[in-house]
Amino acid sequence: MEEIKEGRLMATKKIKEAKTNPVVAFIDKYQTAFSLILFFLTWEVLCRIFKVNEAFLCTPSSALSHLFFKQPDAAYHWGINITATLKEFVLGFTITAILGVFISVCLIWSKTLQKMVMPIFVFFQSMPNIAIIPILLIWIGYGLKTNIIIAFIASFFPMVVNTMAGLNSVDDDLLDLVRYLNASKLQVFLKVRLPMALPYIYSSLKICTSLSVMGVIVGELYASDKGLGYVIANAQKYMDTPPMFASLIVMSMLAWGMYLLVTILERVTMPWRYVKQKSED
Amino acid sequence: MSEKDVLLSIKDLRKVYKTRDGELEAIGKVTFDVKDQEFVSIVGPSGCGKSTLLRIVAGLLEKTEGEIIVDKTKFNPDKEVGFVFQKALLLDWRKVIDNVLLPIEILKLDKRKYVDRAMELLEMVGLKGFENRYPNELSGGMQQRVSIARALIHDPKLILMDEPFGALDAITREKMNLELMRIWSESKKTVLFITHEIAEAVFLSDRVIVLSARPSRQVGSFDIDLPRPRGIDLKTTPEFNKYVIDVYKTLEVQ
Repeated sequence: MEEIKEGRLMATKKIKEAKTNPVVAFIDKYQTAFSLILFFLTWEVLCRIFKVNEAFLCTPSSALSHLFFKQPDAAYHWGINITATLKEFVLGFTITAILGVFISVCLIWSKTLQKMVMPIFVFFQSMPNIAIIPILLIWIGYGLKTNIIIAFIASFFPMVVNTMAGLNSVDDDLLDLVRYLNASKLQVFLKVRLPMALPYIYSSLKICTSLSVMGVIVGELYASDKGLGYVIANAQKYMDTPPMFASLIVMSMLAWGMYLLVTILERVTMPWRYVKQKSED
Repeated sequence: MSEKDVLLSIKDLRKVYKTRDGELEAIGKVTFDVKDQEFVSIVGPSGCGKSTLLRIVAGLLEKTEGEIIVDKTKFNPDKEVGFVFQKALLLDWRKVIDNVLLPIEILKLDKRKYVDRAMELLEMVGLKGFENRYPNELSGGMQQRVSIARALIHDPKLILMDEPFGALDAITREKMNLELMRIWSESKKTVLFITHEIAEAVFLSDRVIVLSARPSRQVGSFDIDLPRPRGIDLKTTPEFNKYVIDVYKTLEVQ
């Protein structure tokens, strides 16, 4: 018994030591940044050692310098292109989020509506999203509106399915709790179902971030005159890889930034999820 | 007590569930009265339909046959019932105080008028100073105490309790029984209490009603004539144990 206890003490001591070691603690704290830096460094070094042809794969440093230094070619105007994609992305994401939640609520509210609408949703979702683009181009032409619609089509269905799962996830006992007091349908919804669904809504918003970026970029790759997708499509013709990789890095940053924003919103609106010290009787 | 004091009377209540394999009779004719300010326990083997009975009284389930008669001059069954469930069922996203105030919101009463009462109730259940905590910061026993305060907030006449301490450990349960006794004697409510712990039923109640296994019928009713206030030492007296044994035998016989 004593020995075991001592063993445990040793173990906790070691953990404590590890935590107080400044180097370990520093790496631990900035783990994300470290991983990324390590990844880019390896990429850079390997490219240089093996003298990889830039028309095939550029180094991250040349991609980044392409991003930060003024380029002679107007097609590479980063300010215009990043703003265009950002605008489409933010609008597409916001519209999907609001409409997604709203429509989920309507479908949960009325089972008849749900039965009528779901098959149509499944029909559209089963269709490869990208295949709709040519039709959208005929109807609307290329640009902002089309790309927002593509982003919407790509992320709307997962958003609705997740949110509905959340709104349906209520414990029957919790419903009894409000029902014995004769709560109205609206009260049950506002006081139990919706707060209960919040975690699901946030997880679907997170999925929605990367899907919206994807939708927007697919639209730009297909037909556009600005945006990060346009930069890639254009640079491909000249086998100019640095702007292509620069665009990819920026896209990732955009989706990541939105993801972080959703995470912050999650923390602010659901403080009860982040308190965990139990009290004893 | 006189006939006038009857708050709730249950007559020939029957409940049949329709399942895939046919009909399942959960309650087969149960009849009893609950008087004003009386503490009545219902004991019976697991699955005997005690919870079903309570849910019917609360209006959460439809009865198949029989009557539930309430004295409408004395109380309004839509608004003056408090229910304590087996699980605490607190809403995680509401602070303790807002959980207690939930019935007030649902009954559309003026919330401001009840804040002081909520604080008093929290003090009564021993949770003073915890009003701004979230439920997942509290232990199981504390959560169940919040749910008791919530059941009392709208000042109901009748409190229905469905094995409220069933999920707690023995020591906490003992403590909660004493608390409940104190709360009941302070608040002067009528309580219909469901349990399968005979000693708990005898200790708390004015009357213990014994139900048989499914389909449940009333097989016994015991007036517990023990002095109040009751303390923990009551449990060692021969009178107390005689009641426990009597109830136990009634359950055994069938």
